[in-house]
Amino acid sequence: MTENKIDWKLLALFYGLTFMLIREWLVPIIELTNTGHLWLFLAFVGIAFILTLIKVSWLISTVLKVVYVFLTIHYIFYDKITPTKETLSSLVSDLISNAQIIFNGYWDEITDPFRTLMFFLLLWMATYLVRYWIEVRKNIFLFYLMTIIFITIIDTFSPFSANTSIVRIMLIGLLLLGLLSIRRLNERHERPDSFNTFILLSTPLLVMILFSGALANIMPKLEPIWKDPVPFLQAFVNGEGAGGSAKSGYDSDDTALGGSFVQDDQIVFEAKVATKQYWKIETKNTYTTKGWLQKTAEDIVKVLPTGSDFEGAEEIPADVSVSTAQLEMKEKFPFIVYPYGIRRVTMDGVEELKYRETNGSYRLNVNDGEAKNYSMEFLADTYSMKRLRDTVMDDYASVEEDLSQYLQLPPELPDRVRFLASEIVAKHESVYEKTKAIERYFGRNGFVYAQTDIAVPSEDEDYVDQFLFDTKKGYCDNYSTSMVVMLRAIDIPARWVKGFAPGETIKNKDGEKVYRVTNNEAHSWVEAYMPGVGWMPFEPTIGFVGQNNIDYDIELDRDDPETPAKKEQEKKKEQEKKKQPEKKELEKKKKKEKESLSYEQLFKKYWWRIITVISVLVIASIVIYSKRSQWLPIVLIQRHRSDKNEWRSFAKSYTILLRQLDLVGLKRAQGKTLSDFAREVDTYYGGTRMRRLTSAYEKGLYGRQTTEQDWLNLKEVWEDLMKRTAG
Amino acid sequence: MMHKEMIERVLVNIDRVMIGKRDIAELSMTALLAGGHVLLEDVPGVGKTMMVKALAKSISADFKRIQFTPDLLPSDVLGVSIYNPKELAFEFRPGPIMGNIILADEINRTSPKTQSALLEGMEESSVTIDGETMMIPQPFFVMATQNPIEYEGTYPLPEAQLDRFLFKLKMGYPSTKDEVEILNRAEKRVPIEELTTAITLEELVSLQKAVKDVAVDVTIKTYIVECATQTRNNPFVYLGVSPRGSLALMKACQAYAMIKGRDYVIPDDVQYLAPYVFDHRMILKPEAKYEGVTALEIIERILTKVRVPIEMAKVK
Repeated sequence: MTENKIDWKLLALFYGLTFMLIREWLVPIIELTNTGHLWLFLAFVGIAFILTLIKVSWLISTVLKVVYVFLTIHYIFYDKITPTKETLSSLVSDLISNAQIIFNGYWDEITDPFRTLMFFLLLWMATYLVRYWIEVRKNIFLFYLMTIIFITIIDTFSPFSANTSIVRIMLIGLLLLGLLSIRRLNERHERPDSFNTFILLSTPLLVMILFSGALANIMPKLEPIWKDPVPFLQAFVNGEGAGGSAKSGYDSDDTALGGSFVQDDQIVFEAKVATKQYWKIETKNTYTTKGWLQKTAEDIVKVLPTGSDFEGAEEIPADVSVSTAQLEMKEKFPFIVYPYGIRRVTMDGVEELKYRETNGSYRLNVNDGEAKNYSMEFLADTYSMKRLRDTVMDDYASVEEDLSQYLQLPPELPDRVRFLASEIVAKHESVYEKTKAIERYFGRNGFVYAQTDIAVPSEDEDYVDQFLFDTKKGYCDNYSTSMVVMLRAIDIPARWVKGFAPGETIKNKDGEKVYRVTNNEAHSWVEAYMPGVGWMPFEPTIGFVGQNNIDYDIELDRDDPETPAKKEQEKKKEQEKKKQPEKKELEKKKKKEKESLSYEQLFKKYWWRIITVISVLVIASIVIYSKRSQWLPIVLIQRHRSDKNEWRSFAKSYTILLRQLDLVGLKRAQGKTLSDFAREVDTYYGGTRMRRLTSAYEKGLYGRQTTEQDWLNLKEVWEDLMKRTAG
Repeated sequence: MMHKEMIERVLVNIDRVMIGKRDIAELSMTALLAGGHVLLEDVPGVGKTMMVKALAKSISADFKRIQFTPDLLPSDVLGVSIYNPKELAFEFRPGPIMGNIILADEINRTSPKTQSALLEGMEESSVTIDGETMMIPQPFFVMATQNPIEYEGTYPLPEAQLDRFLFKLKMGYPSTKDEVEILNRAEKRVPIEELTTAITLEELVSLQKAVKDVAVDVTIKTYIVECATQTRNNPFVYLGVSPRGSLALMKACQAYAMIKGRDYVIPDDVQYLAPYVFDHRMILKPEAKYEGVTALEIIERILTKVRVPIEMAKVK
């Protein structure tokens, strides 16, 4: 081994970066194999690197590592660090028996402690390899490449999502490659490794990597030519359509809800629409304690022509214009996804749609295949606040429509769900307020939005009950189902809606703003029937902002001719009173909803923005900091201008000057006297300023003659020189 | 300032004779003011004698010269009591050591016995002859010369005695230009004979007293000690600089600061004087010789390594 000496700080940097790369290996391995104790393994790698760094002799380092591995295994399998006689003997006998197992080739029978030991040995070897790559080869490309391949394979073929990991790997790996190549260049040209010059040399590299990383994040990206290969391969093997129920996305089978919601960034469609819309597909009416079914005695199917307004679409008031939405489908469905208030669909090559009133779905005829791109006209409903507030439970009696199917509840539903529902709405009068109370309930009672580790109800458990009382953790299905069930429990007709959340805005190829909806946006929410108003959507899922066009129509009352003038004012006051809390509440709710977006979600949603902002800030502060020799003197001059004219402040100023000179590259070796240094400085800047200041300083410092000097003049000289250094 | 002017007069005076040897003149003056002695190590003919003569003349001091030879006896240096038959008593005839400025030429050519007679006088400022102690008149300044040690027929001075000298200097050859100037001046006249007195002996004594008032800050003292300590810890050094060496350096710094017109010592003084003070006080290990490392190089290295104090000492 020909080892050139590398500055230990540099080495530490290299090892630090490599450690981060190794971490990217460990995290998915540990997570996918359900091993746990990630930090123990990481600590092992860290310890190995640190021991290398501080050049501990191999004997001591080996002993330390062996002890660490032993104690760790002991800790993992016996839950305590200090070994006792029994644990020790069982561990040793376990290892011995495993040795026999291996010797006989029965690989499947090795036990967990032994596996862990093997894993540690693997890690140990890995650290040695890394050491070889860094210190001898000074090239880590192979490791980098392997890391990328590993993580992409893991991302593709396992549930592990490497979205942020791959970015980290790219950044760290590129940085490491670049830094090592600078080192190799240094070595080739026999330049000494000084940490500072090294950092200086690598600054452009760092800036470039951060900049290109940030840029790559912001720039629009082409779609993958080969979409997620797993469904593709599955389809190829099975000879049938893609789609795994493990992934998120639209799936018509909702009979068994629960379980983790696996991220899937596959784009479903892009919608060109002016405002955010909830994209509805269908509703379901029957809750089964495990999920949802659509049960209807008779299907009412209407055939609707495309290209013209639907039958029964209301007249458009003169001052209102209809909104349009154009959908570019990336995934094909035999039905359409539509915004609230839909009144017309236009689709090339499709003459008619089948509208199923019972579940609100618009389907294509079987021989028309699947929906391609289409446009829709819609007029979003607005709900009058006044009417909503006037809704009372008794009004349901006068509703003609048969709502009984929307009050269905399974008989096994635990009573505590019903009690909870009545408790939540106890203080509220109107149907609307009761509904809102239930919608709000989740945001305030310790519910957590999560997509992983979501419980699946067992045979004798109820999905809603489990969520409301046991887990309090879940995603849209949990919240929407629970709300529907609770509404039904207090006799408000409600149904479960499936579709997609509005999606994220992006710029499409033509530079237009569109909403991109991926499988991650698959969503469910609630529709409740308000007597006298009709079906109205509600959004109980925390982290989501629902979509209701509520018209706070208080002023309208004044136009009411029947209201006696006398009562008018009184009524107005009363309404004002009512309106105030209502509004406040709504505002509060909005705030709450914003707050309830957990940090994790926020980060997930905006991670690249956050990283961009942070890196911009970091770069800016690096630039500002590295340029401090140019602006700092000006600040310091200002700050010290009003100082007293005396020795103490002069001495302080002088020290500042020394520091500033150091910053601009005039470094005083520690064995160099001030007057020697002053001569050097004066040769550099011309004049005798530094010598004048220095002799005054020496007089005060070594001669203790701290009075009777022309402090004012010295201060001027000082300011002058400070300015020179800044220029 | 008065002090500086007086010193400057002497230095200018010497410069008339010793062309281009201002630094040696300054150092000699430093030693004189600090009450120390100088060991000049150089080949014959570079002006060692001239230097001392010029110095002696400038301060109107009594100048004596002793040429050391292998057969010189201590009494030849110190003086001898001779029986005076007229007065029926021994009469002391003072030797050449009883002068103000003494040039001890080729000191390493005489026997250690005679050497030590001189060196004792240098240290004690007194001599003991026939059980009688006699003070040597002040100011007393010895400038000894020695041929480089490698020369034949030399008795190297023991370390303990080298310690008696404040500085060990090397004269060196003058530059061509300076040498031409020397020839020019000596062409028609004898420059040394034209020298006049620059300051009186009394003035010199007052200057020597004033040197003690030159301030040495505690940071400077620490710096000096730190440098001395480093010589003791150096792997090439067998015997480092003793505390007496540190003390000598401090005193030399005080005198030098005064020559430079300051009444306080700065680290530059220390750095400038350290090689002259330390060089002959260090004994190197044999390894140093094999590696070709000299004491001066070691001192230089130490000086670049030790932190120069540039901030106020913490007040306790």
